[in-house]
Amino acid sequence: MNPFPGLGGGPLFRAGRRHLARNPWQLVLSVLGVALGVAVVVAMDLAIQSSREAFRVSSETVTGRATHQVLGGVSGLPDSLLVQLRMEGGVSAAAPVVDAYVTSPRAPGRALRLLGVDPFSEGAFRPWLAGGPTSDLDGSLLLSRRGAVVLGRELAEVMGLKAEDPMEIGTGEGWGELQVVGVLEARDRASRLGLQDLLIVDLAEAQEQLGRLGRLDRIDLILSGEEDAGAREAAVMRLLPPGARLERAGSREATMAEMIRAFDLNLTALSLLSLVFGVFLIYNAMTFSVVQRRRTLGTFRALGATRGQVMLSILGEALLLGVMGSFLGLLAGIGLGRGLVRLVTRTINDLYFVVSVEGLALPPGVLLKGAALGIGATLLAALPPVWEAGAASPREAMARSSVESRVRRTVPLAAGIGTALAAAGTGLILFPTQALLPAFIGLFGIILGMALLTPLGTVLLVGALRPLLRRTTGVLGAMAARGVVTSLSRTAPAVAALVIAVSVTVGLGIMIQSFRGSVVQWLDATLQADLYVSTPSAVSARADGELPPGAGAMARNVEGVQGLNSYRGVELLTDYGMTRLVALDLDPLGDAGIDLIGGRSGGDQVFEMFRAGDGVLVSEPFAFRQEVGVGDTIRLEGDRNDLALPLLGVYRDYGSETGAVMMSRAVYDLHWEDAGVTSLGLFLEPDADERTVATALREALGTERPLVVRSNSELRELSLEVFDRTFAVTRVLRLLAFGVAFIAILSALMALQLERRREFGVLRANGMTPRQGWGLITAQTGIMGAVAGVLAIPVGLMLAVVMILVVNRRSFGWTLEMQVGVDLVLQAVALALVGALLAGLYPSWRLGRTSPAEALRGE
Amino acid sequence: MVQPIVRLAGLGRSFPEGGGLRSVLDGVDLSLPAGQFTALLGPSGSGKSTLLNLVSGIDRPDTGVVEVAGVALHDLSERERTLFRRDRLGFVFQFFNLIPTLTVEENLLLPFELRGGVTPRQRERARELLDRVGLVDRLNSWPDLLSGGEQQRIAVARALVHKPQLVLADEPTGNLDRDTGEVVLDLLDELLRPLGTSLLCVTHAPEVARRMDQVLIIRDRKVVRLEAGDENGMPGQSAEVASGGERG
Repeated sequence: MNPFPGLGGGPLFRAGRRHLARNPWQLVLSVLGVALGVAVVVAMDLAIQSSREAFRVSSETVTGRATHQVLGGVSGLPDSLLVQLRMEGGVSAAAPVVDAYVTSPRAPGRALRLLGVDPFSEGAFRPWLAGGPTSDLDGSLLLSRRGAVVLGRELAEVMGLKAEDPMEIGTGEGWGELQVVGVLEARDRASRLGLQDLLIVDLAEAQEQLGRLGRLDRIDLILSGEEDAGAREAAVMRLLPPGARLERAGSREATMAEMIRAFDLNLTALSLLSLVFGVFLIYNAMTFSVVQRRRTLGTFRALGATRGQVMLSILGEALLLGVMGSFLGLLAGIGLGRGLVRLVTRTINDLYFVVSVEGLALPPGVLLKGAALGIGATLLAALPPVWEAGAASPREAMARSSVESRVRRTVPLAAGIGTALAAAGTGLILFPTQALLPAFIGLFGIILGMALLTPLGTVLLVGALRPLLRRTTGVLGAMAARGVVTSLSRTAPAVAALVIAVSVTVGLGIMIQSFRGSVVQWLDATLQADLYVSTPSAVSARADGELPPGAGAMARNVEGVQGLNSYRGVELLTDYGMTRLVALDLDPLGDAGIDLIGGRSGGDQVFEMFRAGDGVLVSEPFAFRQEVGVGDTIRLEGDRNDLALPLLGVYRDYGSETGAVMMSRAVYDLHWEDAGVTSLGLFLEPDADERTVATALREALGTERPLVVRSNSELRELSLEVFDRTFAVTRVLRLLAFGVAFIAILSALMALQLERRREFGVLRANGMTPRQGWGLITAQTGIMGAVAGVLAIPVGLMLAVVMILVVNRRSFGWTLEMQVGVDLVLQAVALALVGALLAGLYPSWRLGRTSPAEALRGE
Repeated sequence: MVQPIVRLAGLGRSFPEGGGLRSVLDGVDLSLPAGQFTALLGPSGSGKSTLLNLVSGIDRPDTGVVEVAGVALHDLSERERTLFRRDRLGFVFQFFNLIPTLTVEENLLLPFELRGGVTPRQRERARELLDRVGLVDRLNSWPDLLSGGEQQRIAVARALVHKPQLVLADEPTGNLDRDTGEVVLDLLDELLRPLGTSLLCVTHAPEVARRMDQVLIIRDRKVVRLEAGDENGMPGQSAEVASGGERG
């Protein structure tokens, strides 16, 4: 006996399975809907996880067994501190490290990590580097000659290197030469990942290559194993020079990983949209399949199948579709993830920190989560049709009842629930918090609410359109309009899917347009100089190298240069978290280059005080995140002494979302031991020729280090290029989401038109030509498209407002000026119209080929 | 005294219409003896299908009592009525209502499968019945490949396979030509009478009504018994009944 006759081999499930097999397009579209939704979510998740995993493994590999790290300030730590820690601090396990990202012509575009270590101190920290019976490397090799470098087997193969080969590296100092003395075999997956971007050299070699003689980036310590670790920590802290910090191992990495949380969440939310459209698709297909079988289900009920058995059988079908779709989605997601990981990594490198991802990690958790989401979403989407199937009355086996009249009765209820959902979503968004998650939940609430309001909007709009169509296109036009309302159970979900797809496209479009517009305005305001000089960075869009010493003075003497701003930017772990310190030697000509928020009134006084060192400026994201305002005191630990200055003003900055503190160069020099300059902005004499000055500059600054001299317009273009690159992922996701939505519409329209085969047969039998039939379907899909387009405009604007004022603000701390182009609004209507018309092509072609006799016969 | 297979007392049922209520059945009292064939006549919209729905437990009355085989259906929950229908009743529909995605044999075994499984004995009975209706060679065919008459013969076999106490037929010949209709009626006679199974058959056709043991007609929202020779009551014979669509 089968205790669950609704499942497995039961007649209901068997009949359902055969129904799907007899309607393969329905099956294919349903499975495709789930598969695409799951693929996008899984691909995005894999890409994000891969970048995080690469960052974690890379950090862990170089951190090794250290429990604590002494981190240097801007200028690092003096060599002597190591001896002091060992002698006076009583620390037995301490290893000095110099750590920087470099490039190599053999691995173009790839960030390589140059790790300078002391082979004799390494044993306790990174045993694979230390030498000894169980080690992979004889550490003394690193000391065997100048320029000795060791790297992993995989990286060596990528770069075409073997032992004894020379290799060139690019640093902020220029080009340097190394020689491969050993190739490391990875022992396991973790060490393979850790080694994939690592170049290991002796400490002194790294110091020389990077121009950091006598300086260390950090000292790794093992304190926890020792007795009274707390006392040890205190002893170490007492020895630290100003600006240095004692951190538990991994805390710096955790802070950095936290930085990309908002970025990750944005991408995840966007990828979930695809799944939302997938849910629509499943809902459509399942509802259609139930409506199609109402008579059969009614017969089952009349013959004694319980409501539960019928519902269970439909749920079983949904489960089957969910499992098939999710499995295919996982496979497609892995493929898609390989493409997305490159885009995600690039953006992280541009905006946050350097991470090198060479492969896609496949954590089982992500795959399981994807499958669970796919199956869960399918079952959720199937609930209304399952309910509908349960409601199939045995009476329907004897007489046809109108599903549609019931659906039409629920329109006001749906609108009511939709309004409540949208209101709740708005409430959640307006709730005063900096947290991003409530904003996204609120946003999804609004989207869902709007979807539920669509049936009412459709009825009202089509009602208004109908008389017009009757007058202009006759009975066929009126029929087409009426058909949209009489088949509301099929047309409303299709229109809703289209409204959401188009409004999301409009919303994202307006957001990107506004963002770009704001960035352009900001660049116009801030890029005041005529020429910009910096060192190139192969791994990030940001200038992070160092110009030759005295570059500013040399540039000032070049003929044609009227004045200059010198700029020093360093990333530092402070009490505020990762912060970009900006030291500015501001030429009076460049005052306008700082875009103070809240008008320029008092601006002159602000700059006067700034120059005099009476205070600092902070970027908008910093002020937002730290909740500080003008007049508050900003406190930072300097190399020489601590800084505590009042906040003079907040400036607009789309260059860094981590937040920046800007001070005059004089203030910086007073607190930090760092004479470096990152870039220069030169103001030229009115009659000076940019090219001539650029050539003279290169000669004056020497060719020892690679320099980039860019004109104002070149830098502007480059900045916008980086901006566009940053949004490449968003664009891809938007496109994918629209693709899924399009299939949802196609499926709904096909269901609608194929369901009306008989009606079409009657019309054909009464003399309607195939051409007229085509016109009827096209008119109907056109009406649906137009309605969706019109409804999508206010919804899209609403989404844009939320994304600009709330999501972006909370994610990145930026305020953007909303810019709505008429072209985008028109595009929305056109997109909806074209989408709907395209989706109507196949059904009209199929119906046109059906003979009236066949259509009339087929019940 | 033999227990009636169907007992209705004070039965009433109305439906909402145009903002008010339209009464279809009102104060119906009826008792059908077990083992008898009963025809139920009445013009379209007179409430025949409503009565059939109430007797089968598909619908519930607003007022009154519905007892079938001694079970008070009006007191049962929806699920209990479904299970009652599954075990004790058989259905023959006007449009056959075979499940298009189940084969002929699977359609026949449906009442057993819905209970949880099929025993070899039940399978054997299904084949016997198929043999009796002359379609044992179509065991594995899909229903939509059969003619209307063949489909209805299968439907009759499906209604009887689990040996119900009462078979409800809604215009069983309404979609068939006269000869094929006769074949189906013969089958009902041959298969039901030896088992003592009762039949309640809604019909418009006088020739169907004539083959029943008793004929009932719905008039003015009540069920009236037509006595033998009351030709005026037969459809097609009485202008009053035949054109009484407005009566409800």
